[in-house]
Amino acid sequence: MRKYSVSLKQWVKILNSISAEIDIFAPIRKDEYLDYEQLTEDNIMSISYNKAIPTTPLKSFFFPIKENVVREDEDKQRVILGAPACDLSALNILDKIFLDEQFLDTYYKDKRDNTIIIGSDCYEISENCHCTSYNIDPYPKENCDISLSLIDYKVTLQVFSKKGEKFIKRFSQELKEINKLPPEIQKKREETIEKLAIQNKDLPNIEETRKGVEKEGTIIWKKYAEDCVSCGACALVCPTCHCFLLIDKENFEKIKNWDSCQYPSFEKVAGDEDPLAHIYDRLKNRYLCKYVHKPDMYDEIACTGCGRCIEACIGKINKNELIAEVCE
Amino acid sequence: MAENNIYKPIKYKVDKIVEETSNIKTFFISSEKDFEFDTGQFVEVTLDGIGEAPYTPSSSPYIKNKMELTIMNAGYVTGKMHQLKGGETIGIRGPFGKGYPIKKFYGTEILILGGGVGLAPLRCLILTLLEEEDKFKKINICFGAKTPADFIYKDWFSELEKHKKVRLLRSVDVPDKDWDGTVGVVTVLLDEIKANYQEINSIVCGPPIMMKFGAKKLLELGVNEKNIYLSMETNMSCGLGKCGHCDMDGLYVCKDGPVFTFDEVKHTTEMKEFFRLFKDK
Repeated sequence: MRKYSVSLKQWVKILNSISAEIDIFAPIRKDEYLDYEQLTEDNIMSISYNKAIPTTPLKSFFFPIKENVVREDEDKQRVILGAPACDLSALNILDKIFLDEQFLDTYYKDKRDNTIIIGSDCYEISENCHCTSYNIDPYPKENCDISLSLIDYKVTLQVFSKKGEKFIKRFSQELKEINKLPPEIQKKREETIEKLAIQNKDLPNIEETRKGVEKEGTIIWKKYAEDCVSCGACALVCPTCHCFLLIDKENFEKIKNWDSCQYPSFEKVAGDEDPLAHIYDRLKNRYLCKYVHKPDMYDEIACTGCGRCIEACIGKINKNELIAEVCE
Repeated sequence: MAENNIYKPIKYKVDKIVEETSNIKTFFISSEKDFEFDTGQFVEVTLDGIGEAPYTPSSSPYIKNKMELTIMNAGYVTGKMHQLKGGETIGIRGPFGKGYPIKKFYGTEILILGGGVGLAPLRCLILTLLEEEDKFKKINICFGAKTPADFIYKDWFSELEKHKKVRLLRSVDVPDKDWDGTVGVVTVLLDEIKANYQEINSIVCGPPIMMKFGAKKLLELGVNEKNIYLSMETNMSCGLGKCGHCDMDGLYVCKDGPVFTFDEVKHTTEMKEFFRLFKDK
């Protein structure tokens, strides 16, 4: 994997010139929120580097909130800069679902193919970050084309894929190739891992979580369901939630629209049978899906420890408190 | 983009509609292109601008340019289906899911247990079996309905009885004055069949409650859990194993099913709750 170094000043120039040709999206802080915005000359200096985490999960670039999946529109090439490792890890499950050979979702595939992902290390974590509890390191290791780290006005880039290699050729004459990652990156990574370990010292690991979720009957689900209003925010911000509903439009067009198992009637059939009739059934289903069923189906836990669902919950349900309780 | 768009329906014309019972109709549809499917697989039917719902064809997979769908008026999309007059264009996606493992049935005795509109997918199965009738030892068919008028495919039964490998038994919950067959839920017919239950392959399709009682009775008669095939019914949207709607305790009915052996679904909440009812009795 080739590595390059460039000054922040030079990097901004590079981004400026590329953004004239290709759409680049990067995390920009606005008030208390950090989220992806398309880069322009005006906001290019405000990119938040190496901070967790953008409010919008990475999935929305490949699996949009609403998408007409019968009409055929060309996807443009684009760059996502600053994807955190948790979101990159989520692509493992999404790729298995949407790039499944038997039923290939060409809408998802075209977007994946036409997007260059520049992942970034997380040096500042948010209060609910817990990726390391689920065996994900807080820096890119997979599913990106290039990774980026910014320390002391110096940008380090590491190439992960052929697509990344090709992209970097556009401006490689501006970069200095280096043999190994600067030692300060390793130090920063270790510091982040340490911070996460302290922040999540009481959180059960994957195996304990699975056991706890599987054995819990109804009491704890009912208790937490009292604060749940079925808004589905947990699913919408989740980087691995992939449920959708096909909505029919005239001329046999279909809209693939995000859906959530937290909404009433998600599994209701004609004749009114509904296996997820109660809020507590739906809440339990969410946890079973994440920590039991998805690992069985795809060999991957469907939680990356991004903590977005905790921030998004309007009923203030703290997923990690719930998990600690089912594991007691 | 998309040469093979998994979300785009193929257009079919509704040629004819036959009223089977007061709330069940069979739709005869055709397309210019041939459509390949295995018996037991299902299709997603689109009503333009209205919605989409899954059905298993009731016609033989050996017929490629035409298809029959027998549909009960039970919900929003089926209600709109029932308002069709014929001549309309509808959309079909598929085929989806795993059907019946016909080759596994070769050389064995078969028992088919069906109720209500569950006869629709079973008709497709039976027509498939009869194409290779010699390959099976015997085909026992037990059909049930609420009343004699509630049987679909009323003209088909005499046809079936002509086949030498077929033994057809029918029962109704409530007889009328002309009914001279068995009275009772369909599982009572199993007492009339003298079969080697240890070796039989059994296929059950009908309302969810009938399927569970059917499975229970077959288990009591000694049928192997792996030789009881059930058609599971869940909410469904995409048919592709992606949208999550048909999740059944970690199984996607659209992709892993819709046909499952009892062994494959005995761990599900639905089955466990049903069998728990009999635990202490």
